[in-house]
Amino acid sequence: MSEPANFRRPGELIFALLIVVFSVTAFWQAYLISGFSGKATPGVFPMLASGIMIVSGLIIVLSAAQTPKKFDNKSGFFSEVMSFNHVVLILLVFSYIVLMPILGFVISSGCFLFCSFQFLWRKNPLVMLALTGIILAVIYVIFREVFQVFLPQGTFLRDGFQ
Amino acid sequence: MTEIIGFFLISWTDPWLIFLTAIGTFAGIYVGAIPGLSVTMATSILISFTFKWDVNEALALISGIFFGGVYGGSRTAILLNIPGAPSAIATAIEGYPLAKRGEAGEAIGLTTVMSVLGGFVGILALALFAPVISKFALMFQSRDYLLLGIIGIFLVGTLSGESFAKGVFAGALGVLIGMVGLDPLTAEGRFTFGSIHLLGGIPYVAAMIGFFGVAEALVQLHTLNTPAIRQKIDRIIPKISDIKKYFWLAMRASGIGTIIGALPGTGGDIAALLAYDDAKRSTIKPERPFGTGNREGLVAPEAANNAAVGGAHIPMLTLGIPGDAVTAVIIGALFIHGLKPGPLLLVETPHLFWFIVGSLTLANVFLLIFGLTGIRMFTKIVECPKAVLIPLIIVLSAVGTYAIQNNPVDVYWMLLFGVVGYFMKTYGFQVGPVILGVILGPMMDSNYRRTMLRARQDLGDFLWGFFSNPISLILTTGLILMLLSQTPLWEKLLRKLPIRKS
Repeated sequence: MSEPANFRRPGELIFALLIVVFSVTAFWQAYLISGFSGKATPGVFPMLASGIMIVSGLIIVLSAAQTPKKFDNKSGFFSEVMSFNHVVLILLVFSYIVLMPILGFVISSGCFLFCSFQFLWRKNPLVMLALTGIILAVIYVIFREVFQVFLPQGTFLRDGFQ
Repeated sequence: MTEIIGFFLISWTDPWLIFLTAIGTFAGIYVGAIPGLSVTMATSILISFTFKWDVNEALALISGIFFGGVYGGSRTAILLNIPGAPSAIATAIEGYPLAKRGEAGEAIGLTTVMSVLGGFVGILALALFAPVISKFALMFQSRDYLLLGIIGIFLVGTLSGESFAKGVFAGALGVLIGMVGLDPLTAEGRFTFGSIHLLGGIPYVAAMIGFFGVAEALVQLHTLNTPAIRQKIDRIIPKISDIKKYFWLAMRASGIGTIIGALPGTGGDIAALLAYDDAKRSTIKPERPFGTGNREGLVAPEAANNAAVGGAHIPMLTLGIPGDAVTAVIIGALFIHGLKPGPLLLVETPHLFWFIVGSLTLANVFLLIFGLTGIRMFTKIVECPKAVLIPLIIVLSAVGTYAIQNNPVDVYWMLLFGVVGYFMKTYGFQVGPVILGVILGPMMDSNYRRTMLRARQDLGDFLWGFFSNPISLILTTGLILMLLSQTPLWEKLLRKLPIRKS
């Protein structure tokens, strides 16, 4: 078992509290399935699982609250946990999966790869464009041609050409 | 017997299956070696592409990836001091100092041969013991399966991660995720919130890819600018005298690896650390002190973690209980291919069991070939910058998730689990127990209810069953001891024991 951290990480206590809130909501929803009407009803096991989540969640909250916080101004939630890189990458992934059914696999993946390479690596855009093209071609050949995987075509192109 | 040999040789005689096993092993070695890409990630992404394949083809590929991946982690451990996989942590302790002395090639050669030896021991144990355990497992009742499920989740929860509470929470969260959708016994909706998208449940492959692929990619963002270190590698084929010298140590480590791998919930990482510890205790006059490039300390964990692959297949195929996170992913794949891992697998589909044993053996042979060649190309691939690797993982994860049932909603699940998994990893939770919970949850639920109905919903009768049947009693005692070991009471008890005092 890895050793627990000596200091509370930024946002750890809030995360612990959030999991307790989530567990309590889950327990309430599990109760609504069949209540306490029997011992072998569909709701019993979900209630047991969420009950265990509440108890372990409370222990996690307590131990997080007891762990001392780091007293320096450098470490914060946005610098250590959710950095600018993380926020941008998550937003890029979100846009990618929203656009994939519309633009199709090739265009959306191309845009996503190019934008994230550019953002994370910051090299010559032409090199990034070439890299995107090569990677995309390899993925397409391996998965579409060899593995016969169905890749989204995209409603935009399909409707546009009809 | 002839029949068994016939099933065993299927993957050895079909060129396409040989090719798939080879590709799987090759891909496994490279994926396992690249820091940030884990075997679990590779298996969960790759198996999503195999759902439409014939089951033999999928199994051949998966066997290769599993073996290659467990081994691949050792290369980066030796060359870069970064274990490519958790099972290579012990390898890094001895391997990197060896590389710094300019003996990287020799270290890689030795670990390859010993990994292959360990792999064979694990496979032999699988072939010999799985049929016996499977017959024994036919006597298991629903109550025993419930107990095995709980033990499996608790073991993963206790042995990994920062605290027991975090492990238990992750396991219970997995069970809860597994409950979403139609109840298998009464077809009643659970946690569906009136949405048709939730009636079929949360696709667990999307959860796996989210937790192991996307979450890991987000974690890797922290080390975006870590520069790669170049190493000089020459002679890689090990000396026969070296192999002879470390043979028996490798055998003992393989024995440890097989047993640890076969326990539900414990896998190659724990096997490797225990074997390393054993080597440290048993080596009387070490050539070099441990921690400074000792070869015994390099051989033992490598033999053990590959032996654990065969070992982990034993509970997976005979009981339907995954041995670790990778086998949890593989079990998911088997379910999707319409197979039911459990005691009946060997009775109803013996050809599949022997086919798996055959593919694993073939994969181990390929491991020897690929392990001793292609080092130059390998160093190039490992130097691939994270800025390229991270977006690539995400595209492969998205395509893999989409490929399962061509449903864009699954990809949203993947992202959600990816972000949640990232927070969990950041705050010291392990995501392995979540996946184990998702896979085992529905099985535990139906077994709990069957046991309860058999006890006519009487709580006393239900509980008495756990102590009145010998198999249940052994499992219950094991579970109680495991829970006790997590309490302060255990420490007090240990202090009172005379052995501890001496």
